[in-house]
Amino acid sequence: MSVSARVGLGSAVRRAAFTPAIGRNQIALRTAILKRGVQTQSLPPSASQEILNAQRLKRPSSPHFTIYQPQLTWISSIANRATGGALSALLYGFSLAYLVAPGTFDSAHIIEFVAGLPEYLKYAGKVVLAAPFAFHFWNGLRHLSWDMGKFLSLKAAYRAGYAVLGVSAVTTVALVLM
Amino acid sequence: MASSMLLRSTLPRSFASATGRNVLRSALQAIYSGTVNDPTTFPPSSKTHGSYHWAFERLLAASLVPMTTAAFVTTGSSYPVLDGLLGISLVMHSHIGFDSMVVDYLHKRKFPIIGPAMTWILRTATVGVLVGVYQFNTNDIGLTELIAKVWTA
Repeated sequence: MSVSARVGLGSAVRRAAFTPAIGRNQIALRTAILKRGVQTQSLPPSASQEILNAQRLKRPSSPHFTIYQPQLTWISSIANRATGGALSALLYGFSLAYLVAPGTFDSAHIIEFVAGLPEYLKYAGKVVLAAPFAFHFWNGLRHLSWDMGKFLSLKAAYRAGYAVLGVSAVTTVALVLM
Repeated sequence: MASSMLLRSTLPRSFASATGRNVLRSALQAIYSGTVNDPTTFPPSSKTHGSYHWAFERLLAASLVPMTTAAFVTTGSSYPVLDGLLGISLVMHSHIGFDSMVVDYLHKRKFPIIGPAMTWILRTATVGVLVGVYQFNTNDIGLTELIAKVWTA
């Protein structure tokens, strides 16, 4: 008794050691049932791809896109793509609409519709169309000059980027007032 | 005994068919392929999809600059050929741009179904747009004329 208390094994060992023989089997049975066995499942090797993809979906990723400091380099790059995509979507949308319904989308109807709009809406529409076009045009020239090997240093890329922003603003104003 | 050992080393295909996986048995080691641990594959190098595509894309973009400025100062009705060329070049430029977006954001490595599907949807749409632009330039006033008229409406 004193030995088990000093070693610190506690009451469980004392109970197990001093129970009568009839009770000992019950304790062994109870521990066997309470302990859960490891369950395995047999899978073919082809299932590994699905398991891997399921695990990959659960993996966390650190913030990257949400924390990168806005800079002229990547902002102008994604703006070039976004403006190009928007203008092309407009072209595609109009062409497909004309193909599907030439009676509704022919030039006479469109010009008539635009002419009937209030003045402020016409100006707003012109700004919305001219600004992306101007930026994409001038930034496109900046991109082509990179392709020819010019303005490739960071300083030069920034200077060209600011120049593009300035010239785009002037061009937008010129186009809107036309 | 000696003959069966020889057989095993010179005819590995019985072993391969038993496991259902490719086992290339070189002198001392076995190389497994077809498992999830394979490295990523790269597309075969081709100039058509590589440097020629790049050069074509830049030349097309560069040609758009004089074309748009020319269309800006003239009218579509006086120079219908210019209008037609501009229409085709704009559609091709847009298609290459959209295709780059699909490759960047919906690569088939990560999107095995949506990626290729969007590629083909884009191609179908571009064909439709080309037909629509042709119809508009032929039966109606043409793209440059439309923009000029809408701008001053």
